[in-house]
Amino acid sequence: MKTHKIVFLLALSFFLFSCENELEINPTDNLPGELAITSETNVAAILIGVYDEAGQIASYGGRLQMLSDLLGTDTEVNWTGTFVQPREAFTKSFLIDNTWVRDVWGNAFETINQANLVIDNIDIVTSSAEEKARIEGEAKFLRALAYFDLVRNFGAPYIAGGSNSQLAVPLRLNGLVDFSVNLDAARDTVEEVYTQVISDAQEAYALLPESNSFFADRYAAQALLARVYFQQENYAAARDAANDVLLNSGHSLAPTFDDVFNKEGDGPEDIFSFQVTSQTGANNLVNHYASEADGGRGGDIVINDDYLALFDDPENDERASYVYTNPANEKQLTNKYRQQFANIFVFRIAEMHLIRLESNFREGTSVGLDPLTEINALRSRSGASALAGPLTNDLIFNERQLELGFEGFLIHDIKRTQRSVGTIPFDADVLVYPIPQTEMDTNPLMVQNPGYGE
Amino acid sequence: MRKKMNWLLLLCLVGLTWTQAQEKTITGAITDQNAVPLPGVNILVKESTRGTQSDFDGNYTINANQGDILVFSYLGQRTVERTVTEANIINVQMEEDASQLEEVVVVGYGTTSKRTLTGNVAKLTSSDIAEVPNPNLQNSLVAKAAGVQVTQTNGKVEGGINIRVRGAASVSGGTQPLYVLDGIPLVDPVGNNVDVGNGAATNPLLTLTTNEIESIDILKDASSAAIYGARGANGVVVITTKRGKQGKAKFSFNMAQGFSQPTNRREWLNAEEYVELFTEAAINGLGEVDGRAEAESTFDFLAGDTDWRTGEVDTDWQDFVFQDGFQTDVDFSVSGADEKTSYFFSGAYNNTTGIIRSNELERANARTNITHQFSNKFKIGINLGFSRTEIDRIANDNQFATPLQAIAQSPLSPALLPDGTPNPSTLYGNFLFDDQNANFKTIIRRITGKVSGEYKLTPSLKVNSDFAYDLYDQTEDNYRGQNALFQSTNGQAFASDLGSESLVYSNYLTFDKLFGEKHNLNIVAGSELTKNSRRITTVTSQQFPGDDLPTVSGGAEVTAGTGVQIKNAFFSYFARATYSFDNKYLFNASVRRDGSSRFGENVRFGVFPAFSAGWILSEENFLQDSKTLSFLKLRASWGELGNAEIGDFASRFLFTAVSYNQRPGLAPFQPGNPDLTWETTRQTDLGLEFGFFDGKITGEFDYYVKDTEDLLFQVPLALSSGAPFLGAAGNAIVNRNIGTLRGSGIEIVLNTQNIATEKFTWSTSLNISQNDNELKSLPNGNADIVSGQNINRVGESVASFFLREYAGVDPDNGDALYYLNTQNSDGTLNRNTTTDPNEAQRVIAGNPFPQWYGGLTNTILFNNIDFSFTLQGEWGASIFNNGGRFQSVNGDFYDNQSRDQLNRWQQPGDITDVPQARLFGSNGSAQSTRFLADSDFIRLRNLTLGYSIPNEAVEKMGFSKLRVYFTGINLLTFTDYPFEDPESRSDVNGTNNPGQTFYSAPPAKTFTIGINVNF
Repeated sequence: MKTHKIVFLLALSFFLFSCENELEINPTDNLPGELAITSETNVAAILIGVYDEAGQIASYGGRLQMLSDLLGTDTEVNWTGTFVQPREAFTKSFLIDNTWVRDVWGNAFETINQANLVIDNIDIVTSSAEEKARIEGEAKFLRALAYFDLVRNFGAPYIAGGSNSQLAVPLRLNGLVDFSVNLDAARDTVEEVYTQVISDAQEAYALLPESNSFFADRYAAQALLARVYFQQENYAAARDAANDVLLNSGHSLAPTFDDVFNKEGDGPEDIFSFQVTSQTGANNLVNHYASEADGGRGGDIVINDDYLALFDDPENDERASYVYTNPANEKQLTNKYRQQFANIFVFRIAEMHLIRLESNFREGTSVGLDPLTEINALRSRSGASALAGPLTNDLIFNERQLELGFEGFLIHDIKRTQRSVGTIPFDADVLVYPIPQTEMDTNPLMVQNPGYGE
Repeated sequence: MRKKMNWLLLLCLVGLTWTQAQEKTITGAITDQNAVPLPGVNILVKESTRGTQSDFDGNYTINANQGDILVFSYLGQRTVERTVTEANIINVQMEEDASQLEEVVVVGYGTTSKRTLTGNVAKLTSSDIAEVPNPNLQNSLVAKAAGVQVTQTNGKVEGGINIRVRGAASVSGGTQPLYVLDGIPLVDPVGNNVDVGNGAATNPLLTLTTNEIESIDILKDASSAAIYGARGANGVVVITTKRGKQGKAKFSFNMAQGFSQPTNRREWLNAEEYVELFTEAAINGLGEVDGRAEAESTFDFLAGDTDWRTGEVDTDWQDFVFQDGFQTDVDFSVSGADEKTSYFFSGAYNNTTGIIRSNELERANARTNITHQFSNKFKIGINLGFSRTEIDRIANDNQFATPLQAIAQSPLSPALLPDGTPNPSTLYGNFLFDDQNANFKTIIRRITGKVSGEYKLTPSLKVNSDFAYDLYDQTEDNYRGQNALFQSTNGQAFASDLGSESLVYSNYLTFDKLFGEKHNLNIVAGSELTKNSRRITTVTSQQFPGDDLPTVSGGAEVTAGTGVQIKNAFFSYFARATYSFDNKYLFNASVRRDGSSRFGENVRFGVFPAFSAGWILSEENFLQDSKTLSFLKLRASWGELGNAEIGDFASRFLFTAVSYNQRPGLAPFQPGNPDLTWETTRQTDLGLEFGFFDGKITGEFDYYVKDTEDLLFQVPLALSSGAPFLGAAGNAIVNRNIGTLRGSGIEIVLNTQNIATEKFTWSTSLNISQNDNELKSLPNGNADIVSGQNINRVGESVASFFLREYAGVDPDNGDALYYLNTQNSDGTLNRNTTTDPNEAQRVIAGNPFPQWYGGLTNTILFNNIDFSFTLQGEWGASIFNNGGRFQSVNGDFYDNQSRDQLNRWQQPGDITDVPQARLFGSNGSAQSTRFLADSDFIRLRNLTLGYSIPNEAVEKMGFSKLRVYFTGINLLTFTDYPFEDPESRSDVNGTNNPGQTFYSAPPAKTFTIGINVNF
């Protein structure tokens, strides 16, 4: 009978005993938001998170570059893969529900919001003035970078000397943690977004240290400024910014063209790269450009002979033969992306040379170096014979394709120089990304780009 | 207390002494309607506590007085009352209760009889679910219960199962019912966890076997499910395992061997047709010269070393995708009971080779259920089941490595090279590389046990204390060898370990008493604590010296790892009172107060009440004598239920750890909402139960309305807000309780005993269900919520398809057309067409869930032959083929095309739905209703033909039963559905994108031969 009583007592005690404190369970794998923005360590960690965000495959991890080249290509490359999203870029027929476009948009704004959180809470950083400046500078650099790619992809082309009142993207400059507030936002103009980008990049340049390991330093900000001014056809400013990077950043051309690519760490030529290792980061360029053996899908983007025909000295120019044939399927692929854990560079010295020489050429100056000398110096690194001159805009445009092909420049160079993609003029609606359907569905203030319905 | 009991004891003693004087001993034999002795019959002296049971030979002995009434009762038999007269022998022949209304129904924390039930519960017993040759228990429920739709996601052996009880009551929350095994609420330990698995759901009940199941009771209405409070809104599936029945030990042995094939194979272009279509497409797309050159160079590439011009190779890739499936089932059980102890031991083995290459499952189960009555007051029982399930999995539907995606390959490409290795030069990665060089093995070990004590405090009051423990341990080992598809890191190994522990501690008091003959009162009250904790670790390594060391330690570099710990707890009080007057008027009320760690701290507790009432009209004087109408009951119920399936920390604003170049970082992970709480579903049910001609025709008719408030919504946020991406379909979302949903429907059940003679019986059971749902309000001022191809819009069904409307082909030029569907100024839709998909507005185009579904089962017994079959049907749903834009787009790209694409437009005047073939032309390839199809079907779900060897012959061999049978499932399907199978859907989409198929495997058609032996 004893056991019966024990059972009875146990049961009775259970009725009386309150188990409600059992319901207080806190997550152990995630950090409650209230605690996240309370210490300098955490603010610095959120900044690291911004790099991780921006480096994802949705944007700088590779898709942004591929979309730019596929949208800009006529017959230089072929999209032969199964993914329809890049194929829509290749055929210049974006649908508004293209998920790559959606993710470029979403990822950029995630990056921007996280950078905003760092900037908003910068006063928590008190250990030293240098540390505070570094953190704020990096956040502003990353915000500027994200906005620059948003404005040039989602807004109609910047027209030098124009009012640039065409719509770009909403400027959201305050970090959000409470998403229950009204999140509607209208598009600001191309001019306004460019102004913000330049302001952020200039502040970053002022705040950042001379060198900063693999994180952004002041020359990363200056290289961004050079690229932004260049896109605006503000050649004098672009030239001076590029000149500053070339003279003072400590970076220089890698000894050979091949040294630039497929490296695990940053090389001498890299001004700023997104870091990829076997454990963190992602290199989606390899996924779509490389053979199966190199970690790709077998070569979704095939290099056509039309691209190789752009080389004026194919015999000697190392870049002209920087392709290989995938033995599995006979596709001709670029050598640039064959290491799946290679860093993804955003700014490299060769681009600065190309910006400086073209800006000098267009401005009729020779800041730093005479344009013809500079282009030949760059060419000689790859073994290409020197150009006799005189230089022309076409020659320089061509040289950019030879050097920077498949690195995400093509469509932007076409828009800047007001050329066309085949027969499609640079300012055609189809060369601007659509505002993603999900944004249209959730943000009533959003207006679709021309040519995408409504 | 003690004093009171002593008084009671004294009273009893007085009673005993008084009665002893006129008592005599009655004996007798009890038989069933076929004059077979019936052991285990309960015999009670009415209005006393005296009782006994019949022995193995059906004989009994009891002491009673002249004038006493003896009550003979036995499950499934009509209760018999006999008055003791002068005779000392009372023999009773019992009759089967054809109306089955005395059926016992398992409700939460107790049982009740079907007759007096005031809620709606669908009951299936072991005979309904046995012999369905499929390792997934729930497949045996298909088409058997009204209002319960059961669909296995697709034809993979371990595939997830969707059970929708009376349609979904939720949009973003879980829609699966709560499973309760022997009183233990089961958790799905794997769920949507992204750290483990391959991105496709598995069946949470995969570890159970049908041979250990006695009954499955599906609690559908609020009154029956409300005792499960915050977890009952999607219905409750109560699974009860077998226990020993009175009588000597019964040995049972069953064995079955089956063979399976896919229900459907689609038709694809053969090599000749492929060359024809793509040559034409390339010429149309790129011009005569360029096009022909493009096509021929591609054919050269696809054909490799073979000559496509001579038709040397014509690969049917489906031959490599599908294989003959095999299934072996063996089970054995021993059960029995004496007056004090009942026991059930069983073991079962299942080995299933799926219909898809490399997909296999092997499972072993064992179970012991024992109860022992220590005294007439105290009883202890233990239920213990353990199992081991080993699955060879294949990739989810969205991977090139999954076999089904091979249907996109060109028929010009050989699948294998002459040396037997996979052909590397295919259009897409050849899955055979994975087939030969990779494996994904999942092993699940599960132990579920419960110890329960029951103590009778007084004859009418007992206390139950149950302690249950559920241990689920799942390991996964995935090795991708150096030659696996897309493998470029010299091999990769992944290992995971998921351990989940649940404990349930419940205590409850039950008071059950008949007052003054007519007033029957039953009260249950108690509390329950449920805790679940999960711990998941994973690790990945790369760079292997060779494929001979396929574990994580073989890799030179460890590249990823996770360690996850998740917990949740529920603490609840519950109570239920049932009162019946004169067996005619029935009342039931219940309440549960639930608290859960899952909800925001502002709203942690909820109270869920329910009421119901029933009136058995046939007991009334004015109907009692009716010859036609043998039973008639009206019932009504109302109650509130909750849905707590939103994940463990869904209310929290969270950051997560990230890393960048091995430096630690933090990133926002989930927007918070401290007001997040359960969904509340109010359900009203009106029911009518009837029986005609002495139960020869019985049936039920139900009408219900379910209103869900505080709908849990993953509300999409503007991506430009920078809110973190979370959940399905690439939206940034926040969890909110906004919106209301109304579901309503009817259920009809009709059972008829068509012929019942000694040698020939034929019975029919029909169930039909109809369900509609309509969103009544939505967040952000009733703004549409669009997620991929689905929309939630006020006035429409949940997750309706929202697509551009395909308008066919322009007969003049072969262009694909879409309806504009823009709003005209007068509010009508502009039905002009456009060739630009971006101009075409999306419209509501269908419902992913059926409006009508049902089942029809016929059972025929003729001499020793038994024959039964079940037809299953579903109407009103559509399925969107998300692979359509690759498979059926008139040669837009080199994917092999479905054969219907040969019907393409070729010259002006051609009337067809298939546009002109244009390689890279995007002619009709935009997501539209072109790829949406009705999925109505009728299917011969199962058919069984058995033969029992006559008793005389069997007994000579020492058996009590020997039966051989044939069973088939999915033998015939009648449908116009053009894709894989109307019951096959993609296993990669989340709850927001139902009703899609994407290279999804059809279910298996299985033929089985088996044998049952009892001795």
